Amino acid sequence: MPTDTKRVRGPEVSQSPSLFLCKTAAKKSTASNDARVDGRQRGQVDVRSVFVRCGLISQAKGSAYIEAGNTKLICCVYGPRETERKDETDMKSGRLITDMRFAPFSCRERGSWIQGSDEKDLSLMLLESLRPGVCLQKYPRSQIEVNVMVLENDGAVLAHAVTCASMALADAGIEMYDLVLGCSIRQEGATYLIDPTFLEENGCNLASGSRENLGSLTVAFLPSLNQISGLQSDGEMGEDTLTGGVRTCIEGCFKLYPVIQQALSKAVRRKAPPSES
Amino acid sequence: MPSSLSAQNKNKRRQFPATVFWFSLGIVMEVCGSSSPTLREFGCEQNLLSRPDGSSSFVQGDTSVLAGVYGPAEVKVSKEIYDRATLEVVMQPKVGLPTVRERAREQCVRETCKASLLSTLHPRSSLTLVLQVVHDDGSLLSCFLNSACMALMDAGLPMSCLFAGVTCAIDTDGQVITDPNAAQEKESRALMTFAIDSTERRVMMSSTRGSFTVHELQQCIAVSQKASDKIFQFYRDSVRRRYSKTL
Amino acid sequence: MKHLLINLVSRGTEMNFVGFRSDVRTLDEPTWLTKNTMAAGFKTAEPLEYHRSFLKENCRPDGRELGEFRTTTLNIGSISTADGSALVKIGNTTVMCGIKGELANPPVDAPNKGYIVPNVDLPPLCSSRFRPGPPGERAQAASQFIADVIESSAVIQKEDLCIVKGKLCWVLYCDIMCLDFDGNLLDACLIALLAALKNARLPEVTVNKETEAPEVNLESRRSLNIHKHPVGASFIVFDDSIMIVDPTAEEESLSTATITVVTDEEERLCALHKPGGTSLSGEKLQNCISRATTRHKEVRKLIDKVIQSAKTPK
Repeated sequence: MPTDTKRVRGPEVSQSPSLFLCKTAAKKSTASNDARVDGRQRGQVDVRSVFVRCGLISQAKGSAYIEAGNTKLICCVYGPRETERKDETDMKSGRLITDMRFAPFSCRERGSWIQGSDEKDLSLMLLESLRPGVCLQKYPRSQIEVNVMVLENDGAVLAHAVTCASMALADAGIEMYDLVLGCSIRQEGATYLIDPTFLEENGCNLASGSRENLGSLTVAFLPSLNQISGLQSDGEMGEDTLTGGVRTCIEGCFKLYPVIQQALSKAVRRKAPPSES
Repeated sequence: MPSSLSAQNKNKRRQFPATVFWFSLGIVMEVCGSSSPTLREFGCEQNLLSRPDGSSSFVQGDTSVLAGVYGPAEVKVSKEIYDRATLEVVMQPKVGLPTVRERAREQCVRETCKASLLSTLHPRSSLTLVLQVVHDDGSLLSCFLNSACMALMDAGLPMSCLFAGVTCAIDTDGQVITDPNAAQEKESRALMTFAIDSTERRVMMSSTRGSFTVHELQQCIAVSQKASDKIFQFYRDSVRRRYSKTL
Repeated sequence: MKHLLINLVSRGTEMNFVGFRSDVRTLDEPTWLTKNTMAAGFKTAEPLEYHRSFLKENCRPDGRELGEFRTTTLNIGSISTADGSALVKIGNTTVMCGIKGELANPPVDAPNKGYIVPNVDLPPLCSSRFRPGPPGERAQAASQFIADVIESSAVIQKEDLCIVKGKLCWVLYCDIMCLDFDGNLLDACLIALLAALKNARLPEVTVNKETEAPEVNLESRRSLNIHKHPVGASFIVFDDSIMIVDPTAEEESLSTATITVVTDEEERLCALHKPGGTSLSGEKLQNCISRATTRHKEVRKLIDKVIQSAKTPK
């Protein structure tokens, strides 16, 4: 690996202390199968309560912050401004650029400052999910930048990134067809865990030993158009399970919808207070 | 003095045809002896490289830095500033690639040069200063500054003032050592480098390491100001010697 | 649920720092500025003149006096994936520091020491002036400055980070990220770093005598030994003469010099960082230093208060 000369360097190698955990620490709670660690129930559309706020970053055109359980994300939108790549053939519509990054301290294992391939994948998925919601033809020859920073990763980051980014776009006054909301589930056999935490996402406390229908699903959804703009699934799931999962995610999005609407209208009211008369 | 000096330099190339210019390329190398506040023997050679528009090699004891200035030249559109010249400083370590430390020093040298250069006289153009470490035996940052100043003079760029870099170390007994070598730097409790301007002997740049009291700081500034007189005198003598043959 | 930012917005411990001058004067902006609808256009077209017209009246466009800091707020321990974390706001400038400890072999030339690796990042998120990609000069210079202050002030003695001499030590990765860039980055970074270090709890590590492998017990954690409290105060010079404390991004871009003074609790200086620019007399520097020492007390009080309130259960 080439040495990074643009940062203060530490030792060549260092290991996370979690690799050397005492064996005694690993004990499993064999409580009721239905309850999840944070008290939610399996198989129910029980998304974590979210805290959202718009317009926190003074320098950005639009910004949003979302907190769901311990997952914390911040998103800033800059633009529309003149596109940097003038050689692009399609100048009739605007260009959407997404950049999603994890802060080095956001995960259990310290991440690198250099953007990894998973961050690039997530950026791309975010882009694909957002694009159908934005009226890009209204912004010819310009680009709109969406920057997402994950401050703490406790599962379902992509889903929340989609929600957060669409809020920031709305806060920036970018014309959109609809908001884009995201929701994730983790399928474990016959049951599912909606809006999974980091441990649940990685199957750390798998309830049953079955390996069938095990996977994750993230859906990006346009609530008032009732359309799906992004769908990402991994693992192995049957057709029925998958369609059921998509339906569950949509249900989850609808739970989120009023909270987001409220936060946005609050932001608008703050920006342009209703006249006294 | 500084303004007349820059005027001389600026006219250098216009007055002399290339052949005469070669003749005037006589090496200016001189050595300054040491008295209080003690600086190591220092010397400078100007105009030793043929490609840059101005160059110098500054030696302080065993520490030696080579500087080259390019410009005013055409600037990249992205870096263009509409009302002044864009100054870039590149620092090359003796071995390996420049690190974060070099980048921080580049910033210090660049901002110092920027303050002394009359960059508004060359709008929409680029100035590039390349500093190459030849050998590091302590007081490197001050040597960077001195060689940068000599190279800018050699390039004939208009400047509002000159500057001199002085490094002071405070050893464990509280003694101030000016222009320390690497061993003295390592043993010192605190290390400070200042850039002093030639007009009012005030502090243009300051970079410190270690902790020290306000009194110690003031003491070091005073010592540096005194030491800077010697360097300015040296600048003057070397320039006078160099141009006395041609003017 | 622990809201990270709502703490800052509503519940956060806030302290207003007062300036040099004791007389409180109401802000009287030049009337032709406030009344004129051209004011916004004037600001964009002639930023320098715009600021001058305020400074003539000894105040600034945001209503502060020349020696007044913006409201500083601090929130600690909000990131559970980090061993220690802090979020600092100075006005709009927002900086987050997360500390993660990892295990490594001690350096060969100092077998009884550990590592502290500070890095400052200015992602494109925090301002439109920063581009994506590797850190630019500004971020690199900030990283180096923070590293120098850690070294100079001995905020943590690196010997404390050694677990087994020559075999095992801690590496403290102090990752500082700017979320909103509105000037005075270095002060914010230093407060964030100090508060995060004070908040950090490292797990207990023992070395198994038979296998010589380290064993980590996440249940028992201990805090770091903070020896010194370096706190910075930044100033800019406007028009080669006027000194302004705690500049905004706009003020910084119009300045002719910047100075950062870092002091510790014994009123010793840990750094006098002035990367070039207009030259200053010793007297002016002395003014900066005395302002920095009062700022140090204010920030210490803020950090202690926040740490105390974090300890007491809510």
